[in-house]
Amino acid sequence: MCSRSVPPSMREVTSMTVEKSLACLDQAAWEDLVARFGARMWAVARAFGLSHTDAADAVQGAWLRMVENLDGIRDPERIGAWLVTTTRHEALRLSRRRRGEVAAGHDLPDAVLPDPAAAIVDADFGRHVWERLDTLDEPCRSLLRMSVLRPEATYAQIAIRLDISPGSIGPTRARCMSRLRGLLEEPA
Amino acid sequence: MRDEYLLAALRMAAGADPVPGRVSADARAAFHLRLPEGIVAAPVEISGPRGARSGGGAPGVPEDDGPGVRRFAVAGLTIDVEAVVADGRLEVAGQVSPASGCAFGSGTDAGRDSGPSAWPGTGGGTGTGTGTDTGSGSGSGWQVEIRTSHVSKTRDLSENGRFAVGGLPAGWVSVVCHRPGEPPVSTRWMHVRS
Repeated sequence: MCSRSVPPSMREVTSMTVEKSLACLDQAAWEDLVARFGARMWAVARAFGLSHTDAADAVQGAWLRMVENLDGIRDPERIGAWLVTTTRHEALRLSRRRRGEVAAGHDLPDAVLPDPAAAIVDADFGRHVWERLDTLDEPCRSLLRMSVLRPEATYAQIAIRLDISPGSIGPTRARCMSRLRGLLEEPA
Repeated sequence: MRDEYLLAALRMAAGADPVPGRVSADARAAFHLRLPEGIVAAPVEISGPRGARSGGGAPGVPEDDGPGVRRFAVAGLTIDVEAVVADGRLEVAGQVSPASGCAFGSGTDAGRDSGPSAWPGTGGGTGTGTGTDTGSGSGSGWQVEIRTSHVSKTRDLSENGRFAVGGLPAGWVSVVCHRPGEPPVSTRWMHVRS
């Protein structure tokens, strides 16, 4: 049971102890969460190459999962990671659905644990990654730029633009991402 | 370091794809979809026949986001839901069991076994109303509320616990069973889009 007498502000939400329940959130605190994490959630959904409609569904799905789990989320200090992680799960499900893949088992996700890696979904960190990405050789630089800026581009479109075979795009992108991660692990 | 997170950080830094206002508005509005004191029923695997609208899915294997009956249960209450998109609009039919105000013995079980093919249709009068169908109610006060992110429709439960609603926007949907004197019981949110 939560007290309604002192609605928590966003500041209180981020400093709540784990014993407190998010069920005490008021409208203002909820809107603060939307303002603070909405862009990160959108960016993650779009990073899967989802259309605007599907990305919107993935983001809304994460908020609705929060609605149905308010009493069960016991770590409000990690609520941002929880929201981003849940968005990723919903986006992944939608992406698989669009590709015609049918997941075995039940289609409703189990409880989501916040992924600490979600903390990198941040514009400041993104600017740092851009600096490293721009040091990559071709075709990695152009391929990753397209992956970022045109997530809906088909393999055929990418192949024409970069003059590489469609069949090599997936493996090449995987190698390029690996190189980018390697650069990010090097000392600045 | 997940690729999607790296790409998302790059996208945020590029600032080329801001969050659409509609997405933020829906997120803010989701606050009003909370069910204070409500109980969320857990999904349950169904091993019986699939819904009449379901097509050829393998028995007992729910399809990811696909059509078919989904069952949710909490102590003492089961909600079966079949949601499909037809002509761009969402149609939801289902059954709450045990139904209120009726003896729920073997006869009722037979009714449940008949599945969604026996559920009421979703066209006509039940399809586009915005109020409550009091004419079909059992008089027990039990109601189901079919909620989407934008629209909710409430129906009195029929004597056999069945319900149907149409004309809803596709996307996310949840069914809530309201019983006088009891906490509301809701299904998980389900994604249904063609």
